[in-house]
Amino acid sequence: MGVVGALDGGPRRTFTVLRDESIRRVIATEKAVESQFHEARLFLTLAMAVGLVGFLLVAQWRGNASYARSLEAQSSADLASIIQQIAAENDAMREEALQLELRLMQAEAGGKGRSELLNAAARELKDLRLVAGLEAAVGPGIVVTLSDPESVLLPVDLLAFVNELKSSGAEAVAVDGRRMGALSGFSGDAGSVTLDGQALEPPYLVQAIGKPEALSQAVSMPGGVAAAFATYPGVQVSVSESDDVAVPAAPDGRFVVGEPIKEK
Amino acid sequence: MMVLLLALALGMTLGLLTNLSVPVALLTYLGVAVLAALDSCLGGVRASLERSFDDRAFVTGFLTNTLMAALIVFIGERIGVRELYLAAVVAFGVRMFDNLGAVRRLILERLGWE
Repeated sequence: MGVVGALDGGPRRTFTVLRDESIRRVIATEKAVESQFHEARLFLTLAMAVGLVGFLLVAQWRGNASYARSLEAQSSADLASIIQQIAAENDAMREEALQLELRLMQAEAGGKGRSELLNAAARELKDLRLVAGLEAAVGPGIVVTLSDPESVLLPVDLLAFVNELKSSGAEAVAVDGRRMGALSGFSGDAGSVTLDGQALEPPYLVQAIGKPEALSQAVSMPGGVAAAFATYPGVQVSVSESDDVAVPAAPDGRFVVGEPIKEK
Repeated sequence: MMVLLLALALGMTLGLLTNLSVPVALLTYLGVAVLAALDSCLGGVRASLERSFDDRAFVTGFLTNTLMAALIVFIGERIGVRELYLAAVVAFGVRMFDNLGAVRRLILERLGWE
């Protein structure tokens, strides 16, 4: 309301002027405070957004760095050189492994006396004799009974059966208590099958030493021998797994070395 | 201004501390989104220097810009125009330089360097 002088108007006038002034001041401060609050809020919003951007920037930075390091971002030339390098490293490692193996063998040979070597040879011989049927054997395996009331099983069927067992890991096989050796063979005819010249009697009892599960699976496999025998009249296959199957040694075969006849 | 720089530093340290890394498939999306957000922030700084900053406009602009940028990348990938994200990159890049120039001029004015 205009400028106030001390001279114009009385005390009442002065009072109203003062009141107006104070009211105006209050309003002004309110406005100032409000605008400051407003300002602060705006600033906070902006600051939060900027902080978020910083956060995202770092995340992206990281991701991009890892992508650039990843194989996908490499050029094919780089990839080729990486592959070459890895292959070279591989070769070097293989070489080293071979060298170490060689040294190990040398150390073993040097460290062991003759007795150890002999023992190893003896063990190997025993294993081979076992496979050849020259040693009696006991171990886990299966026992199979082939009942043949109508006498339809041919020698070739029994051979197929034994082969099936052998190919699934049987280490020793005996039929009707006779061990099958390196020279064993079935012959004869249906109902009068012979093993190495000795007649067999149905039902045939087949013992095999090996992993019981593997052997019984081989026999009862769908489309396997048991399934084939099931189509024969009267033939029945019963398999039982056992922890100690005992088979005798095969009679020693006589090995003959053949020589060509010299022409005179 | 200092507060904004502090906020930026805070966000970055948070990012460094949380140690998250973005899967490769999302790299382009996040990249364009970050660009959009950065542009929005510069726009916000410019507006606050011009005394015309409105927080509602800013927040909505920030969010829609960011999401639209990501959407453009997505659409580009879907319709077989992989390079569509370049449109977003160029647009935001140009705007960023605009805003940066304006901010620079405003600060010079503030310093009484007219």
